[in-house]
Amino acid sequence: MSPNGVEVPPWRRIAVGTPGVEFEARPPGEEASDVPDAECDGWSTAALTLRLASVRGAQHRYYGKPRQDAARAVPHQPSGAVVFAVADGVSSAVRAEQGAAEACRAALDRILLQLAWSPASLDLRDVALHAAERLRRLAGVRLNKAEPDPTEVAALYATTLVTGVVRPHPDGPVVELCRIGDSGAWLLDGRRAVYRPVFPSKTGSDTLLVSNEVRALPAVPATVEQATGRLGPDQVLLIGTDGFGDPLGDGDGRVGALFADQLATPPAPLWLAHVLDFDRETFDDDRTLLAVWRRSPAPPR
Amino acid sequence: MAEIKGVLLPAYVLADESASMGPYLEELSDGLVSLCEGLRAEPMIAAKLRLAVLGFSDDVQVRLAVADMRTETSLPEVVIRGTTCYRAVFDDLLQRIPTDVQWLRGQGYRVHRPVVFFLSDGQPTDGNAWRLPHAELVDRARTPTAPNIIACGIGSAEARTMLEVATRPEFAFVAVPGADIGRAIAEFFHSLTASLVSSGHALNSADPRLVVNRPDQFTLAIDEVGL
Repeated sequence: MSPNGVEVPPWRRIAVGTPGVEFEARPPGEEASDVPDAECDGWSTAALTLRLASVRGAQHRYYGKPRQDAARAVPHQPSGAVVFAVADGVSSAVRAEQGAAEACRAALDRILLQLAWSPASLDLRDVALHAAERLRRLAGVRLNKAEPDPTEVAALYATTLVTGVVRPHPDGPVVELCRIGDSGAWLLDGRRAVYRPVFPSKTGSDTLLVSNEVRALPAVPATVEQATGRLGPDQVLLIGTDGFGDPLGDGDGRVGALFADQLATPPAPLWLAHVLDFDRETFDDDRTLLAVWRRSPAPPR
Repeated sequence: MAEIKGVLLPAYVLADESASMGPYLEELSDGLVSLCEGLRAEPMIAAKLRLAVLGFSDDVQVRLAVADMRTETSLPEVVIRGTTCYRAVFDDLLQRIPTDVQWLRGQGYRVHRPVVFFLSDGQPTDGNAWRLPHAELVDRARTPTAPNIIACGIGSAEARTMLEVATRPEFAFVAVPGADIGRAIAEFFHSLTASLVSSGHALNSADPRLVVNRPDQFTLAIDEVGL
């Protein structure tokens, strides 16, 4: 029931400002049968709580395209760390959804391997290079070619990637992450509802025009953007594709308020997917959000 | 900061209204109608565009101010008149585009680099006077909102001139020799609609890019010049 007494259907998309066009989603093609419209996950280790959700954008639902975002997370059992990856397949790539999923899988595999070899230090550029190599191998199989060139790999599987690890520490969890492309990461201060971007944003209020510069795997720059920090007691680490980051902007609007409210404590994973699927005109890209909290003594929702 | 209401692509159609376009007034008018109807048929795409139609001759006259085509009910009407003054176009855009971008930002939108679709059937009648304002318009250091320009020449418009007007060689087209001018105009607008729809798909994604489709009846200007 809404505040004005009008019956609202359960699970109706949450409108934030002016909603977009209403329609029934079209199915993606046969080749995307393993990419559901939405997916979510959630669990806790001894020290950390994770939630993630990924939902197909209105544009892909309308035009019968698959969700091209992906997210994966896995615990590193010996250390209690959370290893994560979020990817946004480049829309011009023929099988962007596969590129995004493979980049996430490859990143997790490599980070787990590094943690097994040398728990104290991570080489995140090596992780990005491994993800690029896995895309190249995937392209080789698809093209039946031993050495596909980078443009062929990009044409099939180009994707952004944010990946890293959150490790428990007596002074507070330590975050290490890197990114290729324009997907974002933020530290949400739950008390003040302030979002602090970990990396520069393409839609910040100080930019006159939105940047069209695209950096994506399989290209890996000589210097990969990286960040390290500690997760404060009232902070939530957020990793999101631009389907989330663009409407969030600087975080001081209604989208920012919605997520600050909903992420005050870890929500049920299905509820996070529902909230992430909010309806706001012109923001119709796929959306993916991964969040990590210090584990609270209180049971999560 | 005001809340972000959306990320928009401002698109400007510059239609040559000089006297030599007189025989093709119907095709020009029909093309603009098909453009507007084509965008209305794609409301999800139209939501991310703002379209302006400007007629140019001795000066520039607004036929459709920066409009949301989902709600715009009027249709642009062109008026055949005067000469083919390119300088008027670039002088106008130098003032208009930064103002429009600031206005859209003030409305709470973020803005992609604007795009200009330029259609002319003739060589500039103002000699080289257009080159200075054009150079300033496309220089991103001097004009941060510098647009991408797609130039399509028909009739006596030369391939070399279209290459000079366009911001990239692959954005310059001329009608194939012997092409029916009326049909070429219709194809220009079909291609323009398709380019805007394709670009609209790519906006708000990890790969926000301008997609330019070559119109049927046109060839790349660079192929004609043989650079």
